[in-house]
Order: sequence, then structure tokens, then C-alpha cells
Amino acid sequence: MTSPPSLDPFPPPIPVDTHPNRAPGSKSPELERSLPDPNRLAPEDAYFAPSLSRGRSAPSNYEENLRSMNGESSAHIGSAALRKKLGGAGRRRKRKSAWKKLLWVKQSYPDNYTDTETFLDHLQRNPRVRPYDFWPLVADSTVIVQHVCSVVIFVCCFVGIVQDRVSPVSIVCWGSVGTAVGWILWDNWIWKEHEESVQSANGITGSDDGSSSTSFASAVDTPANDTQSDYTKTNAIHGLGLSMNGNESKEQFAHRSADFSESIDTVTHLTGQNGVPSAPGSSIIGTTDPFISQDTHRVSTLSPRNRQRLTTVKSAFLIYFALLGLSPILKSLTKSTASDSIWAMSCWLLIMNIFSFDYGSGEGAGATTKFPASLSTNAAVMASTVLASRLPSTTHVFSLMLFSMEVFGLFPIFRRQLRQKSWTGHVLLTLILVIVAGGAVGVTLSGGWAAAIIGSVLGGILTAFVMGGCSWWLISLQKYKNVVIGPWDPARPIIRRHWN
Amino acid sequence: MPYNIAMVSDFFFPQSARYLVAPPALLLIASQKLIDRGHKVIVITHAYKGRTGVRYLTNGLKIYHVPFFVIYRETTFPTVFSFFPIFRNIVIREEIDIVHGHASLSSFCGEAILHARTMGLRTVFTDHSLFGFADAASILTNKLLKFTLSDVDHAICVSHTCKENTVLRASLDPLMVSVIPNAVVAENFCPLSHTTRASDQGLSSPADAPMSPRPIGPDDPITIVVISRLFYNKGTDLLIASIPRILASNPNTRFIIAGSGPKAIDLEQMLERNVLQDKVELLGSVRHEEVRDVMVRGDIYLHPSLTEAFGTVIVEAASCGLYVVCTRVGGIPEVLPQHMTTFAKPEEDDIVLATSKAIAALRSNKVRTDRFHDQVKMMYSWRDVAARTERVYEGIIGDISPEEFYGYYPGQGWEASGDRVRSFALIDRLKRYYGCGVWAGKLFCLCVVIDFLIYVFLEMWFPRANIDIARSWPKKPPASKTQTTRSVR
Repeated sequence: MTSPPSLDPFPPPIPVDTHPNRAPGSKSPELERSLPDPNRLAPEDAYFAPSLSRGRSAPSNYEENLRSMNGESSAHIGSAALRKKLGGAGRRRKRKSAWKKLLWVKQSYPDNYTDTETFLDHLQRNPRVRPYDFWPLVADSTVIVQHVCSVVIFVCCFVGIVQDRVSPVSIVCWGSVGTAVGWILWDNWIWKEHEESVQSANGITGSDDGSSSTSFASAVDTPANDTQSDYTKTNAIHGLGLSMNGNESKEQFAHRSADFSESIDTVTHLTGQNGVPSAPGSSIIGTTDPFISQDTHRVSTLSPRNRQRLTTVKSAFLIYFALLGLSPILKSLTKSTASDSIWAMSCWLLIMNIFSFDYGSGEGAGATTKFPASLSTNAAVMASTVLASRLPSTTHVFSLMLFSMEVFGLFPIFRRQLRQKSWTGHVLLTLILVIVAGGAVGVTLSGGWAAAIIGSVLGGILTAFVMGGCSWWLISLQKYKNVVIGPWDPARPIIRRHWN
Repeated sequence: MPYNIAMVSDFFFPQSARYLVAPPALLLIASQKLIDRGHKVIVITHAYKGRTGVRYLTNGLKIYHVPFFVIYRETTFPTVFSFFPIFRNIVIREEIDIVHGHASLSSFCGEAILHARTMGLRTVFTDHSLFGFADAASILTNKLLKFTLSDVDHAICVSHTCKENTVLRASLDPLMVSVIPNAVVAENFCPLSHTTRASDQGLSSPADAPMSPRPIGPDDPITIVVISRLFYNKGTDLLIASIPRILASNPNTRFIIAGSGPKAIDLEQMLERNVLQDKVELLGSVRHEEVRDVMVRGDIYLHPSLTEAFGTVIVEAASCGLYVVCTRVGGIPEVLPQHMTTFAKPEEDDIVLATSKAIAALRSNKVRTDRFHDQVKMMYSWRDVAARTERVYEGIIGDISPEEFYGYYPGQGWEASGDRVRSFALIDRLKRYYGCGVWAGKLFCLCVVIDFLIYVFLEMWFPRANIDIARSWPKKPPASKTQTTRSVR
């Protein structure tokens, strides 16, 4: 077992740089020992941790608590005080050699020795917590309120139709008028923004166009160019047509807002190469929607703006007629199912829709949500399908389905854009929705104008209380936040390229 | 004094062809070394397919394969109490003093510790793994660990990072947690130049002294070995991303990759896309015995893992005389001295950089890899592990006074908690379990009370007097004595 004589003795144990807080040789150990770093936890904190961090004994003030949660900026008050009280200046009895956090060195310390300096010194508490403020939180909750209100309105409309209080045609007419107005507004915003981007792009001399050329190439390469009849067939499935439509505009949004620079690049490239002012929509959407790319190549006489409008109108008609054709089938879809199961099922589906809806603004990292946006839309469409199948006539079914498309498919897109464009409009829309939803609930429950007014007043008050209460609750729950991060967590690999 | 120790683990026998070092092989070797030190060791595990009943291994290591329902990857179904009768029988039959459980995900181990405490035995727990605190699965696991560890007498962790993690997860007193690393059987992991010496140790002549192998010239081929299961946690994504860049920037370099897993397909796709089949050799899964033969074919061992409690495999690689490139995660920075390793951040760029540095260092002959084997042999040995584990046993049994065992550092502050020597009184145990959580605490208390009632019932219906005492395997005299007698002869 003895090592051969030729073997050199061990190199002196160089502490591997496991502790960024103490770079080797930068500080003298005495100096380090005598200054207990309040940011570091002492070993006793580990097992007293719950009592310290939770602050069960009613934290005196919230701000203070939050600050101590952040840990880095301010001292960990509790542990520092504790250490001062217990350990004097935290000085340790001098030993023959300092303990090292290494396994390969034979040390003169017992195995269960716990070093005050290094134990848990990599632990971080709540490193990425940012405290919430009340009013921004309330403002952000309007998005949820809007969606819940639109679901409530839809349900009330259905109840009205079922109870023969409202004519389905009038509902769908009002809905369609609203949709048309929304679309015109939306169209205006998009084009204004586009013109701005073109103007700013003209200022920039487009030098590098690697990314844009790839996107252009993929637009050209779209294989389904000449198979319109095929495509129409697939589109005849109503859900698909809707989600295509939604995806298209959503993608456009994403490009518009998130990859702004890239879209500029695209535009400069296209204008530079073709000499034709081409639509950004055509170059961006081309990959997903064969319709538009087809149009780009064939109908180049129209202005791009009108070309896109034409496309939208075309797909609107497509959905319209597909729905018209499908309505008789949908009417008898659940004939053999009891109404009770239908109510329960649509209830769950609508709840699913509310919970999995993409409330994000579609920007930055929030764009990649846990649930796909299609889950929410599909749940809503399915709910309205099964609800529609309870209705007596084809017209009823058709009207309700069209209305549900408008409410669940197109309205969210409009709301999102409105929120980005004008905050006042967003708040106004929220108010209108709350009032209408409250009124609709009132009418549904007891009928008459008085009930509607009482309903909207009550609904408004209730919504305000819920918004404020939930925001306050969320803020007050923040003091229980105790995220512990340390070297034991799996590292997040940083990979530049993906090989697939 | 010799103790009767029962090792309990779900994972005991190496599973088929999968390369898995962690608990099973280690447990086997550790048990053997403890037997060498004069203790009596039995192993309790669940029944494997075609492997049931009581079995004997070398040195009379007795293994009880308890019939149990296996749910997932050799983990038994957690039925809190059903294991108690047979466990009690075994413990009484073998006159066990200490129950030593392994691996935190093993429900077997948690139950055994609970029952052992009910029966008034000392318990030790060894943790081999790291867990985060964020996701739901970790929260559940940590609660279960808390249940297991609330009443344990001592815990053993494989690295200091692992200790910090365990202390946090189970709210333990840090002094009740010892750090005892794993070790390697250095004789099984020796470089090519050592083979002759290893076979006849006593007859080494100066001529046989480790000839430093042919030095690596600046243009000689360098082989990089990777042996790991191809999982996300093992950093296979990093590996896949960095292999083409390493090969592109370092001419005359090749890879040998052993192991299988869900990421193997990605790896193969990468090879095909970059046409690297002649530079990267895929071996598939490798048996534990063959690991050394694969390792000695290389010069550098690359370990891109994302989390690792100890990383036995990098010790094995260093023991085989390979220069180690690894990520600085978990307990890895504590394992090997700096002259044997190059550390990288878990980033693609940094791994490429570190590997290139390591290749350059090897080519310029700055690293004496031929000395690694002897150095590792002195750092990690199972004999040492067994001795340190024995000290833990002595401490909890009380052969070492608590002051000496837990240390007495005046002015250090945390000697205040006096609950280190855990009493067996039911009320004290209930107090400990009650603190586990608002709801969990009450549930755990209920479990403990039921367990105690079952114990009383078993004592009445199957009295101790009716259980035969097993004769223990004839013991060798303790290891040190054998050596001296041998030398006298």
C-alpha cells in the first residue's frame, strides 16, 4: 500500500475555487474571520430556518420583510443578530490548519465537522423576487376580468337563446357588427404601425439580410401553393379554420412586437430587392398560411394592403359557409346525450378555457406559456359546439357557433392589440364588458331593465372588490415566498446552437 | 466492539446491463469492508426476478430478498406498515444493533428506519443524491425525507454539497450529518501501464516502477472518453452541442461515448448530420466490469453533468490515469484536486474551451497523468470509508461520548440543541415528528402511533422467545490481526 519512492509527495492542497466569496489569497484569513458576513447563513440557520424566514410572529412591516427576502441588497438581519449573540465576533478557536471544503484531503477534523464560514455560503434566498405593487397589479388583472366577462356574456346569450328571450339572429348580427368594427380598427392600427416601421426602416441602410432572406426563402418554398381545393377541404373542419385564422394574426403580432428589428430587416430587404412595396404580412405569414403566399405571387396588381384585406374577407367567408354547412350536423351531434351531461361538460370546458387562456401580452419570454393558446380556444369551441347541439333549429346553431367564434377566436386578438395601442381604450373596454356582463346576468336571472341595471351595478362593485382583494391577497402572500437556490440545483445548460 | 448491522436498500443488486454505480456496488463493497473490520453485516432488499430468499455472498454477507411489489425501476411500492412483521423477524433473528438505510428515494429504507426506531434500534441514513426545492416532485420527496430523517440518529452524505442539501431538506442539525465520500476500488481502475504491477503487488522491483508512458506529442491523437447515462440531467445536450466544435477546433481528436438513454437518438442524429461517425465511437451501455477497459483507451474524461452529488465516475477516470474535464456543479468541485481536473461552467462555449485547454495541456506534457492512479489510491479507499462509517456507528451507539462525537466547540454557538442523542421514548419521537409540518406532522404522528401499536401487537402474538436466533457466520479475526499473523509466518 505504500506509494513507490519515485512518487512525489502530494502537492500542497490548493483549495479549488469553490467559494467565489473568498478568492484565494485576496484576503487574509484573520480579517475574514473577524468580519462575519451577514449575507452568509450560519449553520444554525439551516435548522432554525422555518422559524426565521417565515416570521410566524406577525412581521411588523411588509416592506422590511421584502427587503430581507431579497437577501443580497440588505443584511440577513435575523441570522446576523443570532450569530452576534451566540458567537461573540464569530471567531473560531484556532486550529492547526483551516478546514477545507474538499473531499480528497485528509483533514484533522471529524466527519461531522461543520464549518461556520463555508457552510451554506452558496445558498441564495429569493434571488429573483421582485415585489409587486398594488395598482399595477390591479391594472394587470383587467385582462383576466375582460376574458371572464366575455365568457359570462357568451353564456348569458346562450341562456337567452335557449329560453327564447333573445333571437339568435339579433345576437349574431350585433356580434358581427362588433367584429367588423373591431377588425377595421385593428386593420388601421396594423397599417399605421407598418408604415411607421417602413419609414424608420428607410432611414436605416439595410446591410445584413441573412435572416430575412431565409424567411423569404421559406415563404417561397411553401409546398401547398397550388392545392387550394385540398386546403379548402381541410379548412372545412370548423375548428381548424378558426385556429388558422387566430394563429396567423397571433404570429403577426409576435413578429410585430417582439422581433421588431427583424421585421424591419425583412422589409428593407424586400423593398430593396423587388422594387415593389411588399406587405410585411406576406413575407412573415407566408410560412404558415399558404393562402397569402399564393396571393403574393399571383395577384400582385392589388396593393398589399388590399390584398391582405381580401385574404381576410376570403377566410371570413370560408368560415361562414363552412359553419353554415356544418350546422345541421352539429344540431344532432349530441342527441343521444342527456342535457345534464352537456351542462356539466360545457361548464368544465369553459372553466378550462378561462384557466388556460393566454393572458400574456405575447411579448418576450412570457410568450412561451405552459399551455398552448390553442388549448384554450379549442376548449371554448368544443363547449360552444356541445351547447349549440341543444338548440332547436339550424339557424340557432349557426348563430351560436358564429358568435362563439367571434367571442373566443377573434375578440381576444382585438383585446390584446387594443391593450398595446391605447390604455384608455383598454380600461374603457373593461368597464363596458363588466357592465354588460353584469347586466346580462341580471337579465338572465330575473329579466327586465331594472334587473339589468341592478346587475351591472352589483357586478361592477363585485368586480372591483374582487380585483382589489385578490391583488392585496397576492401581495400579502409574498412574504411566504421562500425560494432556496444553491449548488445542488441542476444547472441550466447554456447551448448556443440546436442540432435539430 | 463489533456491531450487527443491517443495510437496507431498494437498490442492491446491479441491474442488468445498465451502467449504474451508485448505491448497489458501493453498498456491496462497503459491507465487505465492514465485515473485514469484524462487524456482522446483513443486507435487506426486495426480491428480484429469479433472486429470492436468503443468499450468501463472499465473507458470509447474508442477503435477505424480501418479497415485495416493485413499481418503477426497482423501487418498491410504499406501504408504510406491511414490511414490519418480516422486518422485525429478521432483526430479532440476526440480533441487529444498527439499521443503516441507503438512498433517499427508497421507500423500503424509510420504512425500515421507522420500524427500527419503534423497536429501539439506532439508525443511520446515507444520502446519495441532490434534490432541488422548486418543483412539486421535490416537495413531496423532501417531505418523505423529512419523515425518514426526523427520528434518525445520524445521516451520512457523500459530499459537503450533499450535506448542505440534506440539512436543508430535512431540517437536521448539521452536526448530525457526516460527510463520508464514496471510494473506488483502485485495483479495478488502474491505467494500462499498471497492469503488471497490480497482479503481483508484493514482487514489485524497481524496474517495474511506473514507467511513464510514451509522452504525448503535440500532434498525437487524443481520445476523449464519456461514460454516462444519456439523460438530460447528465448534460447530454451540452455534450451533443460541444462535440462538433471540439472536433473542429482540435485536429486529431476522437471521442468514445459509452452509455445509453433517451438522448442517444439525439446524439446519433448529431453524428449523422455532421458526418462524425469515424471520429466518435458509440459503445452503447457498458457493464460495470468493462468500464475500466473503456476508460484506459482514452486520455481525457469529459463529464458534462448538470447535477451530481459526488461523481464516482470521475474518481474512477482519474484512477485510470485520465485527465478530467467536468462541469462545476454539485459536489464535483470537492472531489478531485486541481491538477487532475479542468472545470467548466455548464455552458457549451465553456466546455469547448475547457476541453481544448485540457487537450493543449496534455499535448504539451504539462500533466503527469501517470501519477494519478497512485494519488487517487491514497485519496479514496474503501478501508478508509469503512473506518469512518464505523466511527459513526460508535458515536450513535454511545461507545464514543457525545461530547467527543459531536464535538465541543465553545463559542461556536450551536451546541444548544441537546436532542442529538435521540431517545426512544414515544413521546419524544412524536414531538420530533410533529414539527414536520402543519398537516404532515399530524399525519406522521399518526403513522408513528400506529407503528407502535403494531409493534406491541406483534410482541404479543409473535413473542420474541419463539423466534430462533440465526448463527452468525464464523468470523475471521479482525483485519489488522490477520495481516500481522501473516507477516509473522
